[in-house]
Amino acid sequence: MTNNGATVTSATAMRDLSDEEFLSLYHSDRFTASVLRSRLNYIVEHMSSAFMREAFSPIIRDWYDFACTISGPPEQDYPMAVVSNSLTVFLGTMADAVRNAVVEHGPENLSPGDVLICNDPYRGGRHVNDVLFIRPVFVEGKIAAFVNLCAHQLDMGGLVPGGFSGTKRNVYEEGLVIPPMLMWSKDQPVRSTFNLFFDNTRFGELLLPDFNSIYQQLKLGERLLIGNVDRYGLDALLGTIRYSVDTSAEQMRRGIEKIPDGDYRGTALVDADGVDDTLEYRVHVLVRKRGGALEVDLSGTSAQARTCINSSVLDSKNAVGVALTMLLDPHAPFTSGTWRHIDLIAPPGTLVSSLPPDGGDQMYWEGSGALIAAIFEALNPVLGDQSVAGDYGSTGNHNAHGVRDDGTPWSSVVQAGGEHGPWGATRDGDGDSYTVLYNLNNLDPAVETMEHDSPMVLLRKEHAIDRGGPGRHRGGAAHLKDTLWLTHAQHWLSPFRTKEATGVAANGGKPGPVGAMWFFPPTDGRAPTELLPFPEADYSGTDAVAGVLNETTKGLDPVAGSYTHFASRPVWQMPANTVLRVLTNGGGGWGDPLDRDTEKVLRDVRDEYISIAGAARDYGVVILGDPATDPEGLRVDEAATASLRERRRS
Amino acid sequence: MSRYETAPPISVERTPVEGTCPGCGAAALAAYPVHSEGGWFDVVKCLECLHSVSRERGPLLGPIQLLSDLI
Repeated sequence: MTNNGATVTSATAMRDLSDEEFLSLYHSDRFTASVLRSRLNYIVEHMSSAFMREAFSPIIRDWYDFACTISGPPEQDYPMAVVSNSLTVFLGTMADAVRNAVVEHGPENLSPGDVLICNDPYRGGRHVNDVLFIRPVFVEGKIAAFVNLCAHQLDMGGLVPGGFSGTKRNVYEEGLVIPPMLMWSKDQPVRSTFNLFFDNTRFGELLLPDFNSIYQQLKLGERLLIGNVDRYGLDALLGTIRYSVDTSAEQMRRGIEKIPDGDYRGTALVDADGVDDTLEYRVHVLVRKRGGALEVDLSGTSAQARTCINSSVLDSKNAVGVALTMLLDPHAPFTSGTWRHIDLIAPPGTLVSSLPPDGGDQMYWEGSGALIAAIFEALNPVLGDQSVAGDYGSTGNHNAHGVRDDGTPWSSVVQAGGEHGPWGATRDGDGDSYTVLYNLNNLDPAVETMEHDSPMVLLRKEHAIDRGGPGRHRGGAAHLKDTLWLTHAQHWLSPFRTKEATGVAANGGKPGPVGAMWFFPPTDGRAPTELLPFPEADYSGTDAVAGVLNETTKGLDPVAGSYTHFASRPVWQMPANTVLRVLTNGGGGWGDPLDRDTEKVLRDVRDEYISIAGAARDYGVVILGDPATDPEGLRVDEAATASLRERRRS
Repeated sequence: MSRYETAPPISVERTPVEGTCPGCGAAALAAYPVHSEGGWFDVVKCLECLHSVSRERGPLLGPIQLLSDLI
């Protein structure tokens, strides 16, 4: 039985069920259930690709900041059976968000052709920009399922255009909160709901066509779903929904059983909130495992922050699901069944279980991302080669706004900060060096689009040398991004995790290094005539934004430096021809770096992932030659390497 | 010594429950809220072996009560 008793399952492993038992549980044969589940997956992918093609908003078009799911009917307790291949922070919250919205509205108050919406983070997770659209699918006069699309809206009102900022102090400053309400009723738009959006948000001309597209994708999903009912029957559909979530639950249970019984603790630090730098916030997690049961207890976590860097309990639930899926069985489908054998214990009012009105959560993925790192820290030591190293920890979001010389306003949202960065390494290989956080899953905006839409020039967008956590499998390299801003601009920056390594080490590897951010003001009003150097650079004349920095040189100094607070200026007013430099944290390493294949170290030196000095320091490998002038002439000094590695090991 | 303070910790309250665990026999039962598949549940569990003695559906939004519920 499931926790809530809503789904009937067998104590027998699914693969050991007889054909008759399978038919009894899922109302179709195995083959049909598998085919039908694939067809449900096709529906959410078709909805997604259609929306992607039509979207006007850059955060949809360029970032893929949306997700689609299908949930079962009230009688099944709204199980989320399939999810699109997109944002995990959406997918992991949408099961509960759909249930909470429909229950509050009342399923009996829904009609064919309705679209129910909700964006309240405390009812459904995420932040107010992420609006959930729910369409009930009726078969023979009764709700058979829900097709759902959650999409980030470019603006939801509030203090900061675009929303991304860690400085807002409560839900009132964050923007418009929408409880469950109809946006379409019996396929007719509800004008008052549209007006609620347009009277309280910016960029309405971008939101309206996207709303219309979302409505069409929901109708597409409904049409395809009913087509499957016509072909396979309603019982087969409902059985397949159960089959899908039971599959996740069974795979996760098998993964949980691999963990030795015991209690495991981990922590992760968030530097500060948007008020000042006097308070740090620490996430504590206690993972308790007995047999096939697992508890994740967040007791001891810091009280919710004074500004909107918190996350809701549903975001933490998502983080738990992401972390445990990555650690225990990355192939387990991500459905509501993922959490069947996991109990999350979340004391109300912490950084990762915040409460309204003061526990704002605009930047919710940062706290919940820290929870993922804490779970890795807790379980990596007992998982051995199954452990996974940590990622770059913070998207360090950047927003900028200004006016061109001809008076045209411009806006750049989540393009020029540390939005993308590295993953940690695993037993399967090195960490990827340019992706997004574990609890996200987005695209990377094209440089041409960024430079077209805003008066900026991307000077550097590259892997930073010697900034991946050393290991037998190397952590992904930190990302280095330099952008030149051609007009005066207001900048908001949100790097929250620069004090401690976020790239948690795995299986004897080393953690990834921490990063920082700086503004290089123009000299005599002019932009630099050459690329700013890296890694050696003169930061003394910069306006440092974030990082643990040397008080004199303003360069990185994680051992003896001082923390620089990202909101020491809530809004960074910078003149034209300023360069923003962002250096993300590095991904963690997996395995002893002294065991790394010397040929891989040689290749890393050739490709400038690591320097010759770094090869000797971090890997005990002596490389001869010059990667700048003769990259193919580099070679390993085998004797010197053997000697150096032996000394290191002794 | 760091000049930074850590925001105060908050912990869940577990209420001791009379009796022994039918799974392992330990006198370690406690009641507390959890979030799992299906949302919030008020559970009585064994703190030793994590066996669930009872699981009742909890409030829809856990600790958050809507003022509109009082209409």
